[in-house]
Amino acid sequence: MTNAVVTNTGRPGPPEMVRRLPEVLAIWVPLLLSAAHLVSFSLWTIWVSFTPSTLIPVAGWVGLRNYTAVLASRNWQIAFDNLLLFGSAFVLLSLVTGLFLAILLDQRIRGENVLRSIFLYPLAVSFVVTGTVWSWLLNPGLGIEKLVHDLGWTSFKFDWLIDRDMAIWTIVVAAIWQSSGFAMALFLAGLRSVDSDLIKAAQIDGAGPVRMYRRVILPTLWPITVTVIVIQLQFAISTFDLVRALTNGGPGIATQLPALVVYDLMFQRNLLGRGAAAAVLMLLILLAVLLPYAAWRYLQRRRAAHA
Amino acid sequence: MPITTTRRRLLAGSAAALALPAFARAQSAVKPRLTAISQWSAGSDGAAITALGKKFEEKGGVWQHSPVPGFTTEMMNKLRAQIMAGDPPACSQLKGPEIAAWSKIAPTVDLDALVAAAGYEKVVAPDLAKLHKPAGKWIALPLQIYSTNMLFLSKRAMDKAKADKIPVTWADFNDLAEKMKSGGVAFPVANGGTRPDDGQKFEASLAGISPTAYRKAIMDLDKKALEGPEIKAAFAQVRKIADWMDPNVGAQHFSTNLKRFVEGEMGMMIMGGWAQGVLRNAGFKFEDFTIAPGPSDNGKPVFLLNADAFIFWQRKEADLQAGQTLMAQLVMDPAIQTMYSQITGSIPVRTDVDLSGEGWSAGQRLTAAALKDAIASNQAVLSVAHNMAQENGLTAALIDVITEFVKNKTIKPEQAAIRLAEAVESAR
Repeated sequence: MTNAVVTNTGRPGPPEMVRRLPEVLAIWVPLLLSAAHLVSFSLWTIWVSFTPSTLIPVAGWVGLRNYTAVLASRNWQIAFDNLLLFGSAFVLLSLVTGLFLAILLDQRIRGENVLRSIFLYPLAVSFVVTGTVWSWLLNPGLGIEKLVHDLGWTSFKFDWLIDRDMAIWTIVVAAIWQSSGFAMALFLAGLRSVDSDLIKAAQIDGAGPVRMYRRVILPTLWPITVTVIVIQLQFAISTFDLVRALTNGGPGIATQLPALVVYDLMFQRNLLGRGAAAAVLMLLILLAVLLPYAAWRYLQRRRAAHA
Repeated sequence: MPITTTRRRLLAGSAAALALPAFARAQSAVKPRLTAISQWSAGSDGAAITALGKKFEEKGGVWQHSPVPGFTTEMMNKLRAQIMAGDPPACSQLKGPEIAAWSKIAPTVDLDALVAAAGYEKVVAPDLAKLHKPAGKWIALPLQIYSTNMLFLSKRAMDKAKADKIPVTWADFNDLAEKMKSGGVAFPVANGGTRPDDGQKFEASLAGISPTAYRKAIMDLDKKALEGPEIKAAFAQVRKIADWMDPNVGAQHFSTNLKRFVEGEMGMMIMGGWAQGVLRNAGFKFEDFTIAPGPSDNGKPVFLLNADAFIFWQRKEADLQAGQTLMAQLVMDPAIQTMYSQITGSIPVRTDVDLSGEGWSAGQRLTAAALKDAIASNQAVLSVAHNMAQENGLTAALIDVITEFVKNKTIKPEQAAIRLAEAVESAR
């Protein structure tokens, strides 16, 4: 260690604390600041959610009234059901699509870099742009349906965007388009880091490509899979701009999502207290995803340390 | 010349009370200055407020307008932040019942003396005046008016239907729609798919069926009226309208389909008077369409009011107070209102402005006449779709029910009426 060397020469350096000051400052100050922001604003929102605030935050105590009002509202109920559907469909499908793309790209094909960029590119596009573009593509009078009609297949029907039962799936489609490239990139990195000895051993044992993926490679990917699931889930829970641009909660209120409800209550209905209550409910949903993940990570690390 | 704050205030205050027209010139010590925020940044709205600012500067004032582009919500967020920081603008855009709501969170300016000096109250529709003096004193001034239930008829669609009579009642409207449909007009009703769009269909229906029921149910939230037969009838009419609309519009803005409307692929449009300006900006001619007051079953025009206004926030600075006085005088001035409305396509708030002269369109003249008639027969009511009848929270709860009804054809009018009453109950 360097400081041991310094001590040995008889010229003691600055005390440990001072010497490490730059790194302490570089790491802890931003960390504490952002933690303080996060915690203080969360606490503030929790406080507001128990007050009768409307236009501006006011002191006062209304107990759980804001929560019961939000939970009883049709908008929230629809938003919550949609979140369950959208969240599970989106996470599952983007996982499958991402993995599939990664496996295809893993075949040491030509032009891999170009293809990888193409698949990753949607991630660089703003959700508002994605939403707007898909809202045109999916509009029966302008987009895909019209194109197919103009090509001659006039009985073709693809009107999910204006069908209140199917509209939530348009958001799933757009979200998958946007972020399956991200899942692909993570999976591809995982595929590339599989121990080559393992693969060689499997080859020697006579495993074909399908068997190889199923039995040898994919099982090593599950830590990445959990990471992808958690990242995609927290994206799903906080989805806002995509829906706003694509359907704006419509047709009617069929594609409401929790983040839309929060914004709507706080800034359009001027009901800060209720909006804060809805935001806290969203935080609870997020925690329901993140806490098990954190616990899992903790256990993993402990097990690794013990091993 | 050093003067104490109190004397300055006194000067500004007495000048305001006297409402001297030459105030700006007389008080050379304080140059009137106005800090203002609004969402009007582009298009005809931006042009109109810039023109107003020019007039303000001509009178010797310093015009400091900070537009907050985007939705009204964005403007409100800025206003909220400024109020919470204790630094409200001298004057800001705000309208309808929001004036009452916001006036409770920060002190406003008492404009009674200025309004009296200008004789403004006599020339403003009574329901509208009430909104701008929530606690009995004028604190805000309406600037321009739109009707949200004008009926636009496509000339080419009328030709296809071989019709030339403008529908007066809802029965006439329905007949004409059927005629258009059989004459080859694909969608007899032109529309957008936004929330206010859907709200306008409902308010036009209910107010057209019975302005009295509209006033009681929507403006006064009377429980009995909310469960009354007129509400069900209005929902039934909305269902008819929805069946004549193009279902593909999704959440599009109404202006997206103006071309199809003019070409006769869509027939009739129930829209605010602003659509006239939009049509004109899009390059269509007045011959392409006809404007009439929205259908009214008793034959007399029903006017659904939407009015933009300025609210004045209390400031201690003498120059800002002088600026507020000057601004108030300008907003109430018939010449200024004329200039403003001619740019935006609205009509003046003052019912005594003569629209026969140069610069007004037939649609604007007709709208102004409709307003006069409607006020005379007590049929000028406040638009709910455009946040004039209720505060934003309640409005949103009502529109939720309406927009769901428009998009979901399995909901029966009776069910919708019950849901509407429930929405009011739970939002209160």
